[in-house]
Amino acid sequence: MTESDEAAPVTRREMLGVLGVLGVLGMVAAAGGGVLLAATPAAAQALGANETVEAGLARVFGGRPMKDGASLIKLDVPLIAENGAVVPVAVEVNSPMTPQSYVKSITVVADRNRIPIVTRVALSPESGKAYMGANIRLGETGDVRAIVEQSDGTLWQIKREVKVTVGGCGG
Amino acid sequence: MSDIGKVRLRLPSTIKVGDVVQVRCLIIHPMERIERDKAGKIIDKKYNYINKVVVTYLGKTVSTFDTTQSVSENPYFAFTLKATDPGTVTVTFHDTLGGKYEGTAQIAFG
Amino acid sequence: MRRPTRWLAVALLVAGCTVAADAPDYSRVPRWTTRAIPEARGEIRPEAGGRRVAVRYPGWPTTDYEKFRTYAYDDFRPEPTVSRATAPTGITGDPKTGRALFLNRQKGPCTGCHLVPGDDVWPAGSVGPDLSTIGDRKLPDGYLYQQLWDPRVVFPLTVMPPWGLQGVFTPEELVHLVAYLQTLHGPAAPEKDRDRNPFTRAKPVGFGDNLDPTNNPGVVRAEDAEALWKEGGPAGKACADCHAGGAATAMRGVATKYPRHLPAWGRVMSIEDFLAVHAPATTGRALPVESADNVSLTMLVKMASNGLPVAVDVSSPEARAALARGRASFVRRVGERNHACADCHTPEQGANKFLGGRYLADATSGLTRHFPTWRTSVNDAWDLRRRFQWCMTPLGMNMLAADSVEYAELELYLTQFDNGKPVSVPGIRH
Repeated sequence: MTESDEAAPVTRREMLGVLGVLGVLGMVAAAGGGVLLAATPAAAQALGANETVEAGLARVFGGRPMKDGASLIKLDVPLIAENGAVVPVAVEVNSPMTPQSYVKSITVVADRNRIPIVTRVALSPESGKAYMGANIRLGETGDVRAIVEQSDGTLWQIKREVKVTVGGCGG
Repeated sequence: MSDIGKVRLRLPSTIKVGDVVQVRCLIIHPMERIERDKAGKIIDKKYNYINKVVVTYLGKTVSTFDTTQSVSENPYFAFTLKATDPGTVTVTFHDTLGGKYEGTAQIAFG
Repeated sequence: MRRPTRWLAVALLVAGCTVAADAPDYSRVPRWTTRAIPEARGEIRPEAGGRRVAVRYPGWPTTDYEKFRTYAYDDFRPEPTVSRATAPTGITGDPKTGRALFLNRQKGPCTGCHLVPGDDVWPAGSVGPDLSTIGDRKLPDGYLYQQLWDPRVVFPLTVMPPWGLQGVFTPEELVHLVAYLQTLHGPAAPEKDRDRNPFTRAKPVGFGDNLDPTNNPGVVRAEDAEALWKEGGPAGKACADCHAGGAATAMRGVATKYPRHLPAWGRVMSIEDFLAVHAPATTGRALPVESADNVSLTMLVKMASNGLPVAVDVSSPEARAALARGRASFVRRVGERNHACADCHTPEQGANKFLGGRYLADATSGLTRHFPTWRTSVNDAWDLRRRFQWCMTPLGMNMLAADSVEYAELELYLTQFDNGKPVSVPGIRH
């Protein structure tokens, strides 16, 4: 966040302190009963939390606008997952990976999961390509999203519904 | 599970200088899921799951995964890196109980 | 010459499928004391109050299906007799109740085999006919009732279970089901989603390269069993002491011949069965069937044959006798559902169709060479016996011990279809 150089009624240090406290309160409010968050802003905040996907996206992306990434992002997920325990996901982004312009992170989201923010990979120009793969859990049929952040802060999104096959023999 | 922390890494068999190489890694780990009691309340305990995967090559961190309980048990991760020099690719997995597991592979040009 | 010809025709009809069969002879089947872990013995434990509870693997249902026929060679109970029935009077069928019953997973669900309309119908199967417009056929209520009570009256060769006769549905519930079916009229709504309909649904794509240790955790588990191979047992010996050169070398080709009849034990045995008797006798280590170590070592031994063609004996007198009994098991109707393996796993019946969300595999195409296989849904390796035992659950019958002779001979029957095809262990499946 950029601070103004103009004289302000509150010093910058005080401002950051206040914002830090607000940040903690914000985290606790979003968590609701989840056990996964750190108590202080200094400790590492867990990426995942027990929350709705709307709350998760707001928490992680701060309500920033997301562009439609359909022309840029290739999201590889099965149309039908044979079970919800292991669903292979791969994301590839058509984007340069130069120090001037590269994909900073790829986040995978599963809308219907109790922990909808699934995983995020932070990349660097040394990655050579904006690509990631992982196998994820899906609680039930629902959308899987890939959200891509570029080094200039632009966000792109693509999503696809994955049906989860329920049950054993006979259904 | 006594297998916890076993890591396997895979690189392409032939790599040329400058190739963007895809690497796959798998770790044996329970990735414990949230448990609920009979009333549906989350059981408060320290769940053991991998929350960070760090990829280093030529002394630099190339990519880092933040991971959650929504990632599968015995997860695999795939990523790429630009093979500029011969050297070691190291993947380090960290779990919430302080476990640290490592796998390495060599980039050599054939 | 007519009588011998007719006998031959009947025998061939009975033989079925692709292999000539002998009639099964049960007079010389050896008795076997199980060497399986307690959860895998098929035991039933009596509890206070006269309840009987099945001892099973963790998380498996513990219902005692005592009433229903099993695979045991000494279970001489016949299939349930074909039964005619009429609907009870005085009950008005409610289509809404009927629809809920049709979709109820604690019952069939009927959607396991039959498609009906509704966005909430997921995943329906294609083993049975699409019932989406069955109301248009204006079939009498009594006919539909009989079909649900015991369809064998209407279709003698059907694989559909006799639901009412077996008590899965009460007569009243069947009346509601009939009422529901009679409301299903055309024209069928255009399908918004081709995957909802099992007749157009995409086939499963599987889980990729089963032999890649960065894809299949089963490979990691199997590779690491090499440590167990080298580790001395209580008698001070390790497998490696007699089988030198590492498992991959010492065991190369061995698994291609299993399961096989072993004269020393007088019965057909798989690698799993054999390890359970061989290890204690040599290394002093107990390797009970279905223990994690037994499954891991079985994978290690079988991996040593990866790429080599399966070559089980099908011609010796012992093999032929076992195959005849194994084949009889394959077509034997068992359980609450009155199903045979053949009902789901042959192309003439359910194979290559969807049973609910599961695409049924064709046993005659050879399915055993990937076992033990990694099951992603449970994150564990399953050998074929555990897979058999699991099938007992939806079929509604008590399981036998994992190392029972019945299962071993059924396994031999199935393995012959893999002859000539390359071993590829461990597999990876849902």
